[in-house]
Amino acid sequence: MADHNDPNAVNSIFSDIDVSAADLYDLFGFPSDDTTGGEKVVIALTFASVPETGVFDTDMLYRIQITAHPRVALPSKDDHSLEAMLKYFDAVKDKYLGELKASEVRVTVDQAHRAKVDFINFPGGSFSTVVDTNKVLTIETPGGHSIKAFLGGRDDAFFNDLPGFFRSINYAPQFYHVPHTMTEVRELKIPKTLLELEGNDLFNFDPENPKLGQGVKKDLPPGPLTWNGNKFLKDENGNFRFVYSGKDAQAGKNVNAIILEIPLGFITESTEVNRIVNTWGESWVLKAAHKVESIPDHPLWLEHPWVLLDAIKLDEEMKKYKLVDTVGQPFADAGLSEREDNRQLGANNFRLAPHFIKRLAHLGWGFGPSISALGLHTSFDHDNSPVSVHKTYALATEAFPRVKKTLFQELNMPDDTWNKKGLDIPLRRPFEIFIPNACAIDMDTTGTWPFGRRLEDQVATRFLSLFLDMEAEFNGKKYTIETLNDQSLWDQAPIIPKTPPNPLKNDKEFLDHFPYLADPW
Amino acid sequence: MKRPTDYNIELEQIDKDISELEDSVITIPIDIEKATKFVYRLYHRASLTGNFAGFKVAETAMNNVMRQVGPWADLCLLKANLDFKFHRLANAKHDLAMVPGLADCFQGKALQADLDLQEGRYEDARKGYEGVIQDNRTWDNLVRLAYLKAKMGDVDGAEQLYIEAEDEITAKEMRSYAWVELQRGLLDVSHGCYESAWAHYKRANEAYSGYWLSDEHIAELLGAQGKFDEAVALYEEVIARVPRPELQQALGDLYVFIGKSDQAQPWHEKALAAYLESVQRGDVHYFHHLADFYADVRENGAEAVRWARKDLALRQNFSTQAALAWGLYRDGQFTMALDAMQKALSSGVRDAELFFQAAMIHLAVGRNDEGKEFLQKAAEINPHYQDFHIHR
Repeated sequence: MADHNDPNAVNSIFSDIDVSAADLYDLFGFPSDDTTGGEKVVIALTFASVPETGVFDTDMLYRIQITAHPRVALPSKDDHSLEAMLKYFDAVKDKYLGELKASEVRVTVDQAHRAKVDFINFPGGSFSTVVDTNKVLTIETPGGHSIKAFLGGRDDAFFNDLPGFFRSINYAPQFYHVPHTMTEVRELKIPKTLLELEGNDLFNFDPENPKLGQGVKKDLPPGPLTWNGNKFLKDENGNFRFVYSGKDAQAGKNVNAIILEIPLGFITESTEVNRIVNTWGESWVLKAAHKVESIPDHPLWLEHPWVLLDAIKLDEEMKKYKLVDTVGQPFADAGLSEREDNRQLGANNFRLAPHFIKRLAHLGWGFGPSISALGLHTSFDHDNSPVSVHKTYALATEAFPRVKKTLFQELNMPDDTWNKKGLDIPLRRPFEIFIPNACAIDMDTTGTWPFGRRLEDQVATRFLSLFLDMEAEFNGKKYTIETLNDQSLWDQAPIIPKTPPNPLKNDKEFLDHFPYLADPW
Repeated sequence: MKRPTDYNIELEQIDKDISELEDSVITIPIDIEKATKFVYRLYHRASLTGNFAGFKVAETAMNNVMRQVGPWADLCLLKANLDFKFHRLANAKHDLAMVPGLADCFQGKALQADLDLQEGRYEDARKGYEGVIQDNRTWDNLVRLAYLKAKMGDVDGAEQLYIEAEDEITAKEMRSYAWVELQRGLLDVSHGCYESAWAHYKRANEAYSGYWLSDEHIAELLGAQGKFDEAVALYEEVIARVPRPELQQALGDLYVFIGKSDQAQPWHEKALAAYLESVQRGDVHYFHHLADFYADVRENGAEAVRWARKDLALRQNFSTQAALAWGLYRDGQFTMALDAMQKALSSGVRDAELFFQAAMIHLAVGRNDEGKEFLQKAAEINPHYQDFHIHR
């Protein structure tokens, strides 16, 4: 019987899965600078360019969910308790899962590279249309709105030093051949850090092998895969060594994208009240059972380019697909959820709140001491540890006191340009950014992160700024989310290379007009 | 131009991968990730084509790589699966133990549960499958548990798990979906539900075209339904593509079933020769087929017992115990046959074929009431248990 009930004969033994069209990369969202005819919001969902740039996988379904509401009342600035925070999450959860039924844009593409785009549950109703891919289009809605759309290949708008991030978290598969079966040998039990650790031979920069981690991998040495040192590495001049290089690892890469510019009036009838547009993206893959049943051409779509949709039929459609990936906030996945499949919950990630607190504390024990060693002030309470520490928590209550300030502090902005109308808009605080895992676009701002996400935002570095103490000052100014992007800080710091962690701009200039993301390479 | 089948498209892709990766195992230093992928692709190709020589090629490549790089966890797991597939259970356990922690990864735990099942620790197997499903709810683990439930007579439970497994399979895994459809079809065949089995087999073919495994299942079903000419034609076609001895035996069995013993003979000769060649090469995975062959084709009880005992020495489970019982029955050693059959029955397995053999053995020792009861049970499970079928 061993021969005959052996799924491994047909199943990959390893999760050796190639890059997939389901792999979502980024979600950008910001108020359009073009206000002709009223306010509009730009939303761009990017994902792996599979099977190729500009060609969509016909088994995939992409969803962009959108909901608009007034600014949520936040807990008091003085109440920094775990209880208050969890109460806040409950209130937001009820709002999200209850009264705020999200509208959505749903996209599938057929073999002829024609995209079916469904607009569902918008105030003006639902409708569907079929459009060409890789073209800038204007979709006219039944209610008279004009939506700009582009579905196709673009330059990858994300610019960051991914190998640097992986070096900072001692992520072995970036540097070593790691068996798929050895999941415990991914993030090694070595302190997370922004500065190289003395004796951390597994991850420190090797001048003999400068490309290690940038496409070059070594065999994983026999254990123990740990670090037993007690200080940061310093060179003969007393300089620390940065784990980041500032180089753009995404340079020259393409993505496939769904880019929309939607009138706010199409998203909400109360455009004056509902100033926050929350959006998140999802990728779904067709289930096998329904591929067998699939009908190649549906004459209805060909004969009636846009038709009103039947809600019941649409729900039936989703049953044919399986959720694979979600994206809302940058680093909510890679930094905080560790990209675990069972944490791909989209906006409904409220149950992850305790995990986020523990993970943030784990990261804080690594990044906090690194920041202190550079002479900067950190929001993380690390008991003045002289070096990064590898510490994990079983309980959120135990971790919370350490990250309280990190979670509750207001994230200062570098200047007032973000608040384009000069309104009384509170600065965002980390706890409200990552839960729910949505891009919350404030229509009264420029939409720069964390008030949305603009293409030019260096979000990887801004994420690190969570660990800066926003009450401290540099050059006579309070720290901001851009402090770590300030070259003058690095010029003064005892560190090499003297560079911000990540590149300051994209490898290709963004466009000043729709679809904003640069043409593909 | 005729559209290539899904099977051919996949095979072409595997061959392309193999061609692109083969340098990885001769270039020093070896790129272990590429080398592992290369070896896996060889294994994948052999599995897909059902080609035993292909497995040997994969095994040789695997051993060569491991000689150079040592016990690489992914390769050890692959080796464990290969050993398991070929009934080398002790080797499979050894492979899992070669790398600390390997037996504790999801795939290692699933294989450990498979080993429990093969060695007759049914409760451990059930717990193992349930545990791994809780931690890693993948279609293959659901199917593993479904198989165990089906064998234990929980048909509804098995069917539910098969449905859940299919719900986990995406459009990127159509061969896996087809395979699960075949398992559902087999479950129906084993209960005499030919129409629904046919629907599953048809669906398997639609999901993944050109697969010899689907055709082989369909050929058996055609035989069961009495469509003998079609069954023979399809078997011959499948054997021409995949000359595996168990398929040759199946065709021979079909000819015997329809009273064409002369035409059965060459196929049976071919099958036997291949089984024995395999044993001469040191393989053990055809012991079970040899026991069946000698018991039912040659009706040579002594030889059947000899091979059944060899198999039993490797794995003690209801299937090997029943094979010994049936061999002893053919050899006229009814009391010993009863003893072996009682061990098989104590597993809790509920299977029409098993109950039919149990009935014959009980009747042979004069336990007529129990014999009739087992016949009744066999008929309850599968009213058509005497139709043509092959031993899987």
